[in-house]
Amino acid sequence: MREKPWYPVVFMFVLTAFFSLILIGLSRFTRDRVEANQKLAVEKAVLLALPMALPAKASSLELHQFFLDRVSEPTPSSGGAYVLMEGDAVSAYALPISGQGFWDRIQGVIGIAADKKTVTGIAFYEQNETPGLGAEIAKPPFRSQFKDKQLAEGPKPLSFKPVGSSLGQNDVHAVTGATQTSTRLEKLVNEDLARWRAAMEKEGESPP
Amino acid sequence: MSAPTEREQALPKPRAARRKESPLRKAVLEGLWHNNPVFRQILGICSSLAVTNLVLNTLVMCAGLTWATALSCWTVSLLRNWTPHRIRMMVQTLIMAFYVILVDLALKAYWPEMSKNLGPYVGLIITNCIIMGRCEAFARVNPPGLSLIDGLFSGIGYSMILTLVAVIRELLGMGTILGFPVPYFSTGWDKWIILVMPPGAFFTLACLIWLFRSIQSDPEGKKP
Repeated sequence: MREKPWYPVVFMFVLTAFFSLILIGLSRFTRDRVEANQKLAVEKAVLLALPMALPAKASSLELHQFFLDRVSEPTPSSGGAYVLMEGDAVSAYALPISGQGFWDRIQGVIGIAADKKTVTGIAFYEQNETPGLGAEIAKPPFRSQFKDKQLAEGPKPLSFKPVGSSLGQNDVHAVTGATQTSTRLEKLVNEDLARWRAAMEKEGESPP
Repeated sequence: MSAPTEREQALPKPRAARRKESPLRKAVLEGLWHNNPVFRQILGICSSLAVTNLVLNTLVMCAGLTWATALSCWTVSLLRNWTPHRIRMMVQTLIMAFYVILVDLALKAYWPEMSKNLGPYVGLIITNCIIMGRCEAFARVNPPGLSLIDGLFSGIGYSMILTLVAVIRELLGMGTILGFPVPYFSTGWDKWIILVMPPGAFFTLACLIWLFRSIQSDPEGKKP
């Protein structure tokens, strides 16, 4: 039978069908989980950027519940930002930011207090920068610098300065050795902040 | 980086002829040392260079590769008597892809952070020459149990070198191991940032290959 010309075709067909069926089954089985993971990553970044005390060792489910309870989805009136409500008043905004990094897209969230000037935090849920260099943007030492910075007027709300230089109200230290990542991140953060500010001003002018 | 040819594999090994080694023992030692995939066969170099700047990423990558190699070898060996000779590479690639996609699915569902860290490199295990090399040179002509052991220890041999490269790069480049600061290296040491960047992998791997080949006395069957 193995010498028959059709044998290799049938063999390959059967083998492919067998392995594919297993993989299709498994990927359907895990699909919900994968999607939930992606959604959770975004929610977690939003929570990290907002000024709130997160339970220290919260499970994913608890974080999700926390998010649902406290944060409302982006609307045009918030300029596309998630909103943290404290009673009836806006407590802070969490603006999604995204743009091209050195290797791949960087996606994250920057938190801004209700005064629209004070930064409450920054977090990333999607980045593929060099581990140990550019990827340090996703780690606490870099991210914690943003808290309580005041956004400057004009097209450059935040400035990245070389490590070692003195910092003003709207400056943070860039990541040493990751010039490309730092430059691009600075650009995308500022672009999205400027766009958000424009959207909020427009919203403020129009009658409620 | 080509897989070892049949002829190379068929050549009598003077070492094996001198001592009567069991095939099992031989498969283990070949994978770990005498025929180590990385420093002896120079296979799987792409991933040795790409994922070795953090020890944790490297360990996960090694586990993925070892699993895929061992089970691919086992499956190829199981099917060896039914696989038509002319399409065997296709069959091997299909089998390898199956096991690698399993790893990718598992990481995406249960360890999304790691899946992101490794990025495309999990999927690229499919093209890792170690797997193809072992399937083609060993599993195709040996029984399943032995092939599993051969694949397993080739994977472990690869993991040994990769982990070593990663430890050197993370320690000297960042002063940490598995993210934990190491005394002196995290404080007093002037970090070699180049080791964390891609060129650092070339330097480290080249030095290690040089070192291991110097220790290994028996390059072409000469007396040790």
